[in-house]
Amino acid sequence: MNDHEVLDEVRDGLAGLHMSTPADQIIARARARRHRQRLTAAAATTATAAVAAGAALGVTLTGTTAPPAHGGHQPTQLTAFTLHSGPHGTSVLTMRKGDRLNPAALRSALARHGIPALVTVGRLCGTGGQPSDLSRVVSTRRAASGIVRLSINPAAMPAGMRLSIGYFSSATGFALISDSGRLTCTVGRPHGPQPATRVGGAPKPGQPVTRVGGPKAGKPAS
Amino acid sequence: MGGLVRYRGVEHQQRDFAEFYATSRDACLRAVTASVGDPQVAEDLVAEAFARAWTGWRKVSQHPAPRAWIVRTALNLSVSWWRGRRREVPLADHDRAAGASALPPAPGQGLDAATLAALRRLPARQREVVALRVFLDLDTAATASVLGIAPGTVTAHLTRATAALRRDLSQRETASPLRKELS
Repeated sequence: MNDHEVLDEVRDGLAGLHMSTPADQIIARARARRHRQRLTAAAATTATAAVAAGAALGVTLTGTTAPPAHGGHQPTQLTAFTLHSGPHGTSVLTMRKGDRLNPAALRSALARHGIPALVTVGRLCGTGGQPSDLSRVVSTRRAASGIVRLSINPAAMPAGMRLSIGYFSSATGFALISDSGRLTCTVGRPHGPQPATRVGGAPKPGQPVTRVGGPKAGKPAS
Repeated sequence: MGGLVRYRGVEHQQRDFAEFYATSRDACLRAVTASVGDPQVAEDLVAEAFARAWTGWRKVSQHPAPRAWIVRTALNLSVSWWRGRRREVPLADHDRAAGASALPPAPGQGLDAATLAALRRLPARQREVVALRVFLDLDTAATASVLGIAPGTVTAHLTRATAALRRDLSQRETASPLRKELS
């Protein structure tokens, strides 16, 4: 046999082989495949968007929303804090220690709930010579370890006053500050005669701070 | 109006594809069968390759050798198929590859088991060259382009494959002198 005869015999050996699948079935198969690909792509897009949204929550502290439990303002849910409407016109603030707090995000969230506030990280700011109305504005709730939960009543906020929140790694301090007063900020130690509220962490000797929510909740530190 | 034009475009594409499928499917099936050695697997691979061709028919129809595209896609799918199954444990004698006795002629399949067995004994690259040169009638340059090898390598593979096939087919004729008379 020469080369042509060999190859002809090979060709003849498979000559009776025919494709039995009709063209319509091929096209249907292609459509099903494309449909699967679209579903997969849609699922991947959704997952990517969810991951991106999660990353945005962690970094920029933009919030997710859920229906308000008691009417009123739309709740703002963040990784470092959660703020939602509570009963009787109050707002419930939950802060999670260990998460990075964006003070501007918390301030704007409080503002949306009608609570003017100054939020600082690593220091607490206060003004001297102001009446002590803090206990009527802020009350604490029992919370799990590492979580600070406060009920804030904006209606009890005196006119011309703001809520000062000092966020520390092991504690959180609160004070009422006057818009017209001289603002003094101290690392871990609020100044002035007005009692501040400090949640969690050990009291500092001589500090004019009212501790609430910690192991010695409600006990004045000085 | 735009929808009607688009519909006519799709209809034209579908008719074009159906014509290509009708004239190419058997040649592609034989080429892939010669390469993978299993008609059933080959049919599935070719069907999937044609389905992919339909998905991208605008591009595939412009390909210089659409049949070669089908065969190349089917062979690539074959590699993926085996990669996905290489950890599977085959049943005893379920997919034994060697020897004509391992693959008795299936009635109605219309293929010569001895020829297929001879093809299966060739190295993979030689089988691919035979598939493209014999069953798709591609020339050396086109075969080299599809396989991504030099034309000289195609010629060398074809020469070796032809020699091996001649040896196998001659032995068969020697062992079964009545075969031609009966067929």
